[in-house]
Amino acid sequence: MPDTPGDFDYEAALAACAAGDRQAMHRLYQQEGARLLGVALRIVRQRALAEDIVHDACVNIWTRAASYDPRRGSARGWIYSVVRNLALNAVRDAGRHVDVDDTTKQALEADMSVQAHHEVEETFALNASLGRLQHCLEALDPARRNCVLHAYVDGCSHGEIAERLGAPLGTVKAWIRRSLVSLRECMA
Amino acid sequence: MTDQRNTPSTPSPEDLSVLAGEYVLGTLPAAERQGVQQRLPGDKALQQAVAEWEARLLPLTQLAEPISPPAVLWARIDQSLRAASPQQTATPVAPPRAETKRKPSVRWWDHLGLWRALAGSGFAMAAVLAAVLVTRTAPVAAPPQFMVVLVAPHDKAPGWVVQASSPRQISLIPLGMAEVPADKALEFWTKADGWSGPVSLGLVQPGQPLQIPLDKLPPLQPNQLFELTLEPPTGSPIGKPTGPIQFIGRAVKVL
Repeated sequence: MPDTPGDFDYEAALAACAAGDRQAMHRLYQQEGARLLGVALRIVRQRALAEDIVHDACVNIWTRAASYDPRRGSARGWIYSVVRNLALNAVRDAGRHVDVDDTTKQALEADMSVQAHHEVEETFALNASLGRLQHCLEALDPARRNCVLHAYVDGCSHGEIAERLGAPLGTVKAWIRRSLVSLRECMA
Repeated sequence: MTDQRNTPSTPSPEDLSVLAGEYVLGTLPAAERQGVQQRLPGDKALQQAVAEWEARLLPLTQLAEPISPPAVLWARIDQSLRAASPQQTATPVAPPRAETKRKPSVRWWDHLGLWRALAGSGFAMAAVLAAVLVTRTAPVAAPPQFMVVLVAPHDKAPGWVVQASSPRQISLIPLGMAEVPADKALEFWTKADGWSGPVSLGLVQPGQPLQIPLDKLPPLQPNQLFELTLEPPTGSPIGKPTGPIQFIGRAVKVL
């Protein structure tokens, strides 16, 4: 599977990591560090914790690079799954009572204001770079689409999504399941 | 739809896909999430379903704004990489090999929260928090009895950590690459309350960890001072610090 962005060879980087090449890990970090931190911060909502997650993820990637199996997916996807799993484990294990620090809160609120300004109906700006997924997400009705996006991007639990969308919990759960079925069919 | 957690019978491909999808989305409650993680290593169908969802949804990572990490984050990661060898196995279940004994057990200085505390608080509070956090880590061999965070005097940026697993031996661990002028060296000193002056623990290479026996000194005490000063390349000519303090901190007893 071709990896993006650019010409960075993620598979080669992981192979070099498995061989103990710290420079390869550094290049990988330079390539993806900012995006990984962004992904982690959206989920855990605390800057310092997000940095801890990226630290732990890099150590994980470094020590487990040899276990990456190209048959199971792209190297870049594997790297993101390590970060997202650590971030999600952190927020789920903590019972999700996360105090958002002030700086992050301001950043998130600013972010949300910008989003609200750009699109009244849509919480998330989708664009062509999402490829086939964009088409399939747009085929969902907006509330269901937002369930998926709040879950994946913001690390929201069922309850938090229900709160954000002002929808009953059971409805949100059903929306998510049906969205998953629809997305799977659409992307097949 | 029924809960599949405790059902050993084969779930339908659709149920499996929804379970994997919710796992990748992150919406599974903690217990179910752990259940999936425990099943994954031995369940090829689930592995496949999870991998498919990871690939399908990966483009959504673009919706999170990138955030430039602070420079110290890489220094911290690099420090941890040096302590953790890649596991030379093709599969995660292969038996451990002799040379992988330095496997990546998370050390206390990697623990979540320690660096948060150091970065965000005054030094004394950081040391206290760190000590508390140390006691909450998974058990490791010989937990440190004392720890010292050596910070730059002007901006309190942590530069080195001292840990002592026994009162007779300490480890000095760099958190980054300290900058030392070419014609100078870093010299490591300690002074406990009641001593007439600091005692040299020798020269230190920037960025290099160091083990130091304390066999000629009294056992470590709480509040014992540690510092790194800038000295001539062969060390202080008079056996006492002569140059500016680069990093300084006091020992905290770990509960």
